[in-house]
Amino acid sequence: MGYNWNWGVFLQPTSTGDDTYLGWMFYGFKVTIALSLSAWLIALALGAVVGVLRTVPNKWLSGFATAYVELFRNIPLLVQLFLWYFVMPELLPERMGDAFKQSNPFMQQFLASMVCLALFTSARVAEQVRSGINSLPPGQKNAGLAMGFTLAQTYRYVMLPMAVRLIVPPLTSEFLNIFKNSAVCSTIGLLELAAQGRQLVDYTAQPYESFIAVTLAYLVINIVVMFGMRWVEEHVRVPGYLGGK
Amino acid sequence: MISMNKVSKNYGSFQVLADCTTEVHKGEVIVVCGPSGSGKSTLIKCVNGLEPFQSGEIVVNGVSVGDPKTNLSKLRSTVGMVFQNFELFPHMSIIDNLAIAQIKVLGRSQDQAREKGSKLLERVGLAVQAEKYPGQLSGGQQQRVAIARALAMDPICMLFDEPTSALDPEMVNEVLDVMTELAQEGMTMMCVTHEMGFAKRVASRVIFMDQGRIVEDDSKDAFFEHPRSERAQQFLAKILHH
Repeated sequence: MGYNWNWGVFLQPTSTGDDTYLGWMFYGFKVTIALSLSAWLIALALGAVVGVLRTVPNKWLSGFATAYVELFRNIPLLVQLFLWYFVMPELLPERMGDAFKQSNPFMQQFLASMVCLALFTSARVAEQVRSGINSLPPGQKNAGLAMGFTLAQTYRYVMLPMAVRLIVPPLTSEFLNIFKNSAVCSTIGLLELAAQGRQLVDYTAQPYESFIAVTLAYLVINIVVMFGMRWVEEHVRVPGYLGGK
Repeated sequence: MISMNKVSKNYGSFQVLADCTTEVHKGEVIVVCGPSGSGKSTLIKCVNGLEPFQSGEIVVNGVSVGDPKTNLSKLRSTVGMVFQNFELFPHMSIIDNLAIAQIKVLGRSQDQAREKGSKLLERVGLAVQAEKYPGQLSGGQQQRVAIARALAMDPICMLFDEPTSALDPEMVNEVLDVMTELAQEGMTMMCVTHEMGFAKRVASRVIFMDQGRIVEDDSKDAFFEHPRSERAQQFLAKILHH
């Protein structure tokens, strides 16, 4: 093939001299993790609220939640990212917009990426939460209400604990997706893992090593997430129910 | 204790309940029966406001159920209900199933609630199952737990919505025994059931429904010996011969 493999490239100092190429990769790895985890936490919280709202009897609240879900899951992630990064600062009140544009570029990119990934994923989480709630036997809600629980308490103590257990497997996919989707954020210049991989190619002309390393890094992240979620699944399993002992 | 006056409910043009009027006094055991689709379950769910109704009035212990100003949660906490499919909370142990509403609704302490729960479990013969989960119990055991869970709230009356219909035949009696005992202790009860043996044993009155109407509302002896309507005669003829 005539390609010069050079795995030692990672240990070479970068041309700017302040780090090794491995250091760059590791920096991108950390950004990807920080971005994805923070977005995931927001997505979980928002998605839970919106998912619950989709199932409540009030048609204004459920209508709002439906609109939210349809908005965020029907616009391509990349377009949403551009909207948050390029358009949103212009739409903010002038002082807020200026403050955003004057903050350091990394913060701008990180914030826009985080909000974008969080809202995009929250719409998908909301759908999982809704399907979890809807798959409970309808009598459970009545049973909660009949005990004297308010609707909110019925959700809190009766419906959500079971709904959440039911949706752990599909939530695992969403959790994996958010790490993979975070690569899109390299398009606005955020130096996360995928962007660092490309930068490495530009600087070293060693594309194979670089992308193999990036691939392995994503794989490692997702294997850890998978095992983590499997652990969660096993620990919330209900005895005598759904494969529990 | 429970009085219904011309209660009507419809889904679109379909009349589920039509002018249902009856009265349940303290200590009475009312058995509600009738063919499927006759509105029995709907009627009983109207009593604690789980089903809304369009017209008429239901008053439970002096509180109007249909009044938008009524605090339904508070009312429901005083009315015990047992469902066809048990509806225990599967993610909680049996004792927690009995304790949770006592703690969160009545404001009892964890210890008080568990103690009360244990006593009631003992009463329905399931004290040893306290730490198990609903999925590990048989249907009959689950339904006895469900009755105990309702009793834990110290209800002023109990509603039973076909409590034995989802059970294997051999488990029906263990549930009926608990209900019979409860009836004999003077609990006010409204039971939707097809267990005519139970009705004959403990009912004060029998309500027979058909197509959303209360067709008969009579003492059990009058109902079983001389049903007035043809529909009730047919119904009894069909179910008593087996």
